[in-house]
Amino acid sequence: MSADVRTTLAAAGEGCQDPHIFNDYGCGFEAPTTSLFFPTPWLEFGLPATSGITKYTALLVLSVLLVAAFWFFTMRRAKVVPGRGQSIAELLITFVRDQMTRPGMGKKGDKYLPMMVAIFLFILVMNVMGIIPGAQLPVTSNLAFPAVLAISMYVLWNYIGIREHGFGGHVKGKLVPSGAPVWILPVLVPIEFISNFVFRPVTHAIRLFATMFAGHMLLAVFAAAGFYLFNPDAGGFLGVLSVGYSGFALLGFLVFTGFELFIMGLQAYVFVLLASFYIGEAIEGAH
Amino acid sequence: MNDRPGDGSEKEPRADGMTVVSYLLGGLAFWGGVGWLADWAFGFTTLFLPIGLILGLVGAIYLIVTQYGRS
Repeated sequence: MSADVRTTLAAAGEGCQDPHIFNDYGCGFEAPTTSLFFPTPWLEFGLPATSGITKYTALLVLSVLLVAAFWFFTMRRAKVVPGRGQSIAELLITFVRDQMTRPGMGKKGDKYLPMMVAIFLFILVMNVMGIIPGAQLPVTSNLAFPAVLAISMYVLWNYIGIREHGFGGHVKGKLVPSGAPVWILPVLVPIEFISNFVFRPVTHAIRLFATMFAGHMLLAVFAAAGFYLFNPDAGGFLGVLSVGYSGFALLGFLVFTGFELFIMGLQAYVFVLLASFYIGEAIEGAH
Repeated sequence: MNDRPGDGSEKEPRADGMTVVSYLLGGLAFWGGVGWLADWAFGFTTLFLPIGLILGLVGAIYLIVTQYGRS
């Protein structure tokens, strides 16, 4: 059992001597709550709107160090004929280029490739923290991290659009749909504004946050259920039944851990792909 | 999303699904909100809210058809 599950169970087991099914105390199953996503701060600053140093901070720093170390050790002595580490790094770069930036931006987007590769690997490592034993908290399950990434992409998108087409050209290209008669524009322009300037960055952040949040919650429920349902002390048929239940819950936990790994990769991919689409649109101008 | 990895030289794929959904939601949210505000300001119970919702939906569908229906 990991630290994460233990804290869940400690929270669930309050006011109950023996938090298991078929026991004599009659306390029911208490599902993990969103308190999972508010870990106890190790160090508080007492400033308003800050959370202090928590597990999120530690895992964030660890993610940054891991990504930096990966690039440092694979590309430290880059050769024309790559070694093993360099091959992996070049494979990753090629993957990001061919699957994400080229479809979104074309050849012109290659100058944004380093940024996109860095963001992809960073988000991927932050997500995968959710299934590393001992860490088991995806950093992106806290809305602050996806929000900052999405806001930076949004600012970059606007900056590139304004640089390429001027302020008026950028705003006009994003607000005035092509091929619509003038009399209908008052109806359409607000819709375009909401769609392009409000919903787009919001959904960009929430898509990543919500999947990580939900996935972590799912795993926590399975783990807590596996613990709660395990009660061989109940004796006889009930004991066997409870162990069977628990086995099902833990099987679900393992299956969904694999599924989460897939989702974590997918969401990092989707985030970078959409950022590429948006920036490509800004380079193109009118849509 | 994208079915083929390409070198970007083929047709320009775009994030169409997201845009379509956000057009629909944005149309409903904006014009429905304007209708609701008008109701609130003029003291009607529900008069402008459905009008605004319908207007927003029509505008969103019009946008989708003109932007993506020509392909």
